[in-house]
Amino acid sequence: MPEIFLNGQAVQAREDQTVLQVALENGVFVPYFCWHPHLSTAGNCRMCLVEVEGRGLDIACNMPVSAGMKVFTDSDDVKAHRKAILQFITLNHPVDCGICDKAGECTLQDYHYAYNGEPSLSVDAKVRSTKYYNLSNRILLDNERCILCLRCTRFTHEISKSMALGIERRGDVSNIRPVEDRPLGEDPYSDNIVDLCPVGALQSRQFLYKSRVWYLKATPSVCPGCERGCTIQVWHRKPEWFVKSLDQRQNTSIARITPLENPAVNGPWICNKGRDLARIFERVRADQPMLKGRPVPVAEAIDAARRLIGAARHPVALVSNWGSNEELDSFKRHLGEVFVHAHVKTDWQPEEGERLEDDLLIRPDKNPNTAKARELFDMGEPNYHDGTDLVLVWGEGYDFSRIPPQAKIIFLNSYLAPENGHADVFLPLSIQTERAGHYTNFQGVVSKFEPCFPKGEAVLDAEALFKALEAPPRGHT
Amino acid sequence: MPGRQLIMSFPVTATSHSLAEYRARGGYQALEKALKTMQPAGIIKEITASGLQGRGGAAFSMGRKWQVIVYDDGQPHYLIANADEGEPGTFKDRWILENNPHVLLESMLIASYALNVRNCFVYIRGEFDLPYRRLAAAVEEAYAAGYFGERILGTDFSCDIVVYRGAGAYVAGEASGLIASLEGKKSYPRNRPPRLTVKGLYQRPTVVNNVESLSNIAWIIAHGAAAYKEVGTPKSPGTRLFSVSGHVNKPGVYEVELGYPWMKFLDEDCGGIVGGKPIKCVVPGGVSSKVLTGAEIKELVLSHEALWDAGSTLGSGGMIVIAEGTCMVTLSQILMRFYHHESCGQCTPCRHGTGWLHRIMDRIVAGNGRPEDIERLYYISKFNDGTTICGLGDAAGYAMSGILDKFRDEFEYYIEHKRSRYDGNLECLKSS
Repeated sequence: MPEIFLNGQAVQAREDQTVLQVALENGVFVPYFCWHPHLSTAGNCRMCLVEVEGRGLDIACNMPVSAGMKVFTDSDDVKAHRKAILQFITLNHPVDCGICDKAGECTLQDYHYAYNGEPSLSVDAKVRSTKYYNLSNRILLDNERCILCLRCTRFTHEISKSMALGIERRGDVSNIRPVEDRPLGEDPYSDNIVDLCPVGALQSRQFLYKSRVWYLKATPSVCPGCERGCTIQVWHRKPEWFVKSLDQRQNTSIARITPLENPAVNGPWICNKGRDLARIFERVRADQPMLKGRPVPVAEAIDAARRLIGAARHPVALVSNWGSNEELDSFKRHLGEVFVHAHVKTDWQPEEGERLEDDLLIRPDKNPNTAKARELFDMGEPNYHDGTDLVLVWGEGYDFSRIPPQAKIIFLNSYLAPENGHADVFLPLSIQTERAGHYTNFQGVVSKFEPCFPKGEAVLDAEALFKALEAPPRGHT
Repeated sequence: MPGRQLIMSFPVTATSHSLAEYRARGGYQALEKALKTMQPAGIIKEITASGLQGRGGAAFSMGRKWQVIVYDDGQPHYLIANADEGEPGTFKDRWILENNPHVLLESMLIASYALNVRNCFVYIRGEFDLPYRRLAAAVEEAYAAGYFGERILGTDFSCDIVVYRGAGAYVAGEASGLIASLEGKKSYPRNRPPRLTVKGLYQRPTVVNNVESLSNIAWIIAHGAAAYKEVGTPKSPGTRLFSVSGHVNKPGVYEVELGYPWMKFLDEDCGGIVGGKPIKCVVPGGVSSKVLTGAEIKELVLSHEALWDAGSTLGSGGMIVIAEGTCMVTLSQILMRFYHHESCGQCTPCRHGTGWLHRIMDRIVAGNGRPEDIERLYYISKFNDGTTICGLGDAAGYAMSGILDKFRDEFEYYIEHKRSRYDGNLECLKSS
């Protein structure tokens, strides 16, 4: 354990560490653009210059620790050089923060205020380059804003291995460019480069000009896209910034989704499917309980369901593997005795062309909570027989033609579907962004999600619903 | 002749580069001596004892560079001859490649034997046509004569060589940039540590040496370190090839024994200055070294220590002589255009700094200079120095601040009067 001195303070370091890592671990912030804990060291932004006694200035990100070294992270020389580096970086940067999506969470902006704060010393025209360069159908590139930290190219080379990006030309006209024959659009992890970009050079088309980031808040959640269960942040409008006119749907829609770093599951990455959860969650919702397609109040629908459950001799349940741990537990506790035959149903099948599995994150089972459901219930298709008189279907993705015609159907679903009207009792459920809960991923790691939006008036939480269904129907005594 | 000659010691004829004539001059005897009578460690000891310094620019001790390589660490080692001679004003390696390619090959074989290298490389500048053809022909001759390949000269030593042509990037002359280019990547220089002698080509220990540095080895092995130390000065032994260009009557490549008086060399060997004009300044070793004025070089001798004392360096040996009447502002503009064009764009200060320097110089030359521009040029030079991955960012700053230090009044004149004091003249005409 070599001991080094950070600004005069003795700290312990490990031999394989760099000075930058030691400094960050010990609460001494050294600014950096190109360095990233999960990528190789490029050392090209030169922002993390620190002074070592007797050795002068060098970059902290590529400096191995050696016992007794005296590092200064805020000497006058270091400060002057940081300032100069920011002058160089902003020399050809358009400084168009007013129309840049990154403004508010931009490293360059933050560093400028923290370490430079002065206008450009240059009076000459800036180098112009391409704007809105089409990298893929998901990502746009603004080469003028790019500071060539090469995080994106390193990501495609080292993490996603698509090798989709490279650098074209040299000097101050260098540009990030896609590599021929290796389209970035086929890289299922491509959107991570938008998060990696320390400036606003890489822009997500989904989020382009959608919102200023300071209007948004991030709610921790779990991606239900596959059994990996990556932790994510769902960005949505802060209540104090709700729009009162215009389209009010803005207040209750997902603005964007970013990864929430979690070393146990996904590290700092998620795949593009996780960014597209709005496609799943923002489908048209079912918001009305129904009996054979006839809208009824909630209480009446619950009553009807209780009556069916009470009268059933051979009931069968199909349990959703999109239910949270709490909901699955609740089902087992309250309805487990009635539904002896409860089978796990696979709500979501892989879509056509979707990547099934790889060695980074993506898993073949495209449902979030199969692990927990498997623990509590049987797998496989239930054995229907002539006596089957009630089938409770929880969640979507089940072909009703498999249900014997004589059986009554209780259907619990969140989205508008033709089957809703065919069920004897239909009850609308809340979705993940409207409730709190936990998912267990395939490795057994439990992750938590929190509500982002209020649920509709007649929409029910499954956890409470199962408790209500356990009670005997009103007037049954 | 400016002192003794070790490399250019024969008259150049139409066939003097061939293997037959090289053998007739005593060629490949040093290789035989090394392989049959010397141990690898002994060769490294001999080179260290000779005090041979790198000829590419940094003048680092060759022996000390070689000593880092552990002979039998179980890894492959690589040797690369850096023939990517791109420093403006430098064309000395070209002479060796064109007229004496076998001395390079023989020296590389000896070095490979000493460093336990199975595969060595010559990274040759893509623009070099005749040098490439001569070198490629020499490699073929050497293979045919059994100097390369398996079991060379009947010993256990085997070695192969690859001649690789660059694609025209100045940064590829920087050792780690060269390695990146040789690996098939963009020639971005690499951060140290790790040093190239620890992790170089394909992440293996690699020695990169300049063509001229390597070419001295055959002579040192043939004649011994003691004989080599007698040539030159105690602190900079040996000779150096200088490629002299600019306003001298006889520009060209000269081999100069280190310690030779500078003015004597220019007056006698290079035929004096065109039109007998006084010397305004001299770029001693490629434009990345700081310029020295005519007055400063009067008493100087050509040796590393003398140049270091004078605040400059012999660098790569590309000597540009500039006569009185030359516009230093226009000259700086051309230099900055070069650095801007050749910056690889990897690290921030050089990527933007060189372009900034170039744009300011362009503006001054166009007559739109501002008084604060000189301060700005100093600012960029200062913060380019020591903040970049490789030395080429520093070099642009050195070149700029070196000229500014000595000819600031010319810049001020140009900015104030919006015209050059010397009409933007770069030529030196005999009649004028």
